[in-house]
Amino acid sequence: MKKLLNVALGVLTAIGGFVDIGDLVTNAQVGARFGLSLAWVTILGVVGIIVFSEMSGRIAAVSGRATFDLVRERLGPAMGMANLLGSMGVTLLTYVAEIGGVALAFQLICGVDYLLLFPAVGILVWLILWRAKFSVIENLFGLLGLALIVFVVALFHLGPDWSQLGHSAVSFHPPKPEAWSTWAYYGVALFGAAMTPYEVFFFSSGGVEEKWGVKDIGVMRTNVLLGFPLGGVLSVAIAACSYVVFHPLGASIDTLGQVGMPVAIALGKIGLAIALLGFVAATFGAACETGLSTGYSIAQYFGWQWGKGVRTDVAARFHVVLLLSTVVALGILATTIDPVQVTEASVVFSALALPLTYFPILVVANDHDYMGEHVNGRMMNALAMIFMVVLTVVALAAIPLMIWTRMGA
Amino acid sequence: MPETADRFHDRYDAVLHLLDRQVISSDGLLVCKVDDLELVETGDGVLVATALLAGTPALLPRLSGRLGAVVRDFWVRMGDEQADRRLPYRIDFALVAELTSAVTLTRPRHGVLARVPGEGGGPTRHRLGELLSMAVEAPEGQRRILDLRLDERHRVRSLVIGHGRPGAMLGYDEREGRTPNQGPALVRTIVRALHRHAREVPFDLVRIDWQEQRVRLAG
Repeated sequence: MKKLLNVALGVLTAIGGFVDIGDLVTNAQVGARFGLSLAWVTILGVVGIIVFSEMSGRIAAVSGRATFDLVRERLGPAMGMANLLGSMGVTLLTYVAEIGGVALAFQLICGVDYLLLFPAVGILVWLILWRAKFSVIENLFGLLGLALIVFVVALFHLGPDWSQLGHSAVSFHPPKPEAWSTWAYYGVALFGAAMTPYEVFFFSSGGVEEKWGVKDIGVMRTNVLLGFPLGGVLSVAIAACSYVVFHPLGASIDTLGQVGMPVAIALGKIGLAIALLGFVAATFGAACETGLSTGYSIAQYFGWQWGKGVRTDVAARFHVVLLLSTVVALGILATTIDPVQVTEASVVFSALALPLTYFPILVVANDHDYMGEHVNGRMMNALAMIFMVVLTVVALAAIPLMIWTRMGA
Repeated sequence: MPETADRFHDRYDAVLHLLDRQVISSDGLLVCKVDDLELVETGDGVLVATALLAGTPALLPRLSGRLGAVVRDFWVRMGDEQADRRLPYRIDFALVAELTSAVTLTRPRHGVLARVPGEGGGPTRHRLGELLSMAVEAPEGQRRILDLRLDERHRVRSLVIGHGRPGAMLGYDEREGRTPNQGPALVRTIVRALHRHAREVPFDLVRIDWQEQRVRLAG
């Protein structure tokens, strides 16, 4: 019974953990402009994050090594450092976006400008990273993040033309006035939002912290295989709501408030309140995860003691990194940069940084020296290689598309 | 917990199996990374690995290229008054319990890292990183060292030479003691094709000139 509860909890937190500020904003934007014609990218991204997480989770369970430990071990110190700087840049950018997202969500609730709120949010996130127990972070925010199911309910309440939605979902081209390049650019953004690198850093490091062993592989797989697809369902629901409400008006989405609008239209104040709770939980949880990921990655590269399972003074340098990245993130937000724009950039750079960490994980997942009999099987390798190619193509296309479409303008 | 067998008391590859691995103390805490290895020349032309080296003075020299040189120079200047600025932490091989997916020590974390001066009477100590950065003059042209094979007493038995950086074969090379068909097939094919000219040279044929920073192959 307790095991079943643990599995259920793991699945629920995976759902909540999948959806963050990047998914909220990007899905709503894509929905409003392109309908469900990019829903296949979300599905592709969900399969991709399942493959990536399953491999790094299995490595963590069998060998006790987390992602960046292996990145340096396989790529050497120089390339590992380049990799660290790239991945750190993206994770820090995401951290900025998540803290800003929490502040924006609070602004929607209480009406106080987010610029007055973000320092408090940042300090609160840091206090949680410093003081709170690991499982509290995961379970509390994961469960509250489930409030986003309200988007699925809202979609049914809006009573959309289902055949039109279905048609949009199977049309693999941009709707009329939109250009192919912009469509492809948002495809890259959506892919990056679904497969953000920090999700894997956090997942594998969390596995090491919770001392997963070979016997936990089954539970880990269940979490991944159920949790991420259900998170994908929430993403598609957000896009669909946004399509139904905004597409006929030809409106584009630039604020977090607009993301929640369809729920307000369909379900009124109560619905909106639930959606806002979901926003706060999803972004707050993700802020904690991205913050921790900066510490995990740097500490794992240098071999320092890391983790929330030991006293803070035992992992002193890890906690210094957490403090510094929070200070830097707050500094960036203090420039009054729009957190939604930071989010837009962070998802694209996520897509760019993915192959850097994916490749070493793929190699180690095949290494008998680490994995013994738990190396990738044939099917897994076939799937993993397809994604190696997909990730490379997406990463190569990201910057040219960004320049060409002027960030999807 | 790792279920793979201990490699430390068996033959292993210095770069693939030991370099850059996590070091864990006997009380299960993380200590450092294996930033470099100490190599000692014994009289009869044998090169033996004797200690793990760790810390910034061990890591920075391994960052190659112009940027690496700038960072190294900066690091030294920032602590100009410190006599041990270039001296890394040293963990003697006697303190190593086992080598699996990580290096486990026989001592608890408290005070395990010490900067031990190398010079002064004893045998000349070299660093693996230094050796790996040297150009190899082989009969077929200039090559790099990709890996070193050590025996169970940590004596260097052979070098793997070829193009590219150390460890670039990622464990996909076909040699004894390796999984013959490590997947994915596509990665294996590409890595092997890139390193098709890589070969193993017995250490008897290797002449290392530490002054000139060059490796020659006899015969």
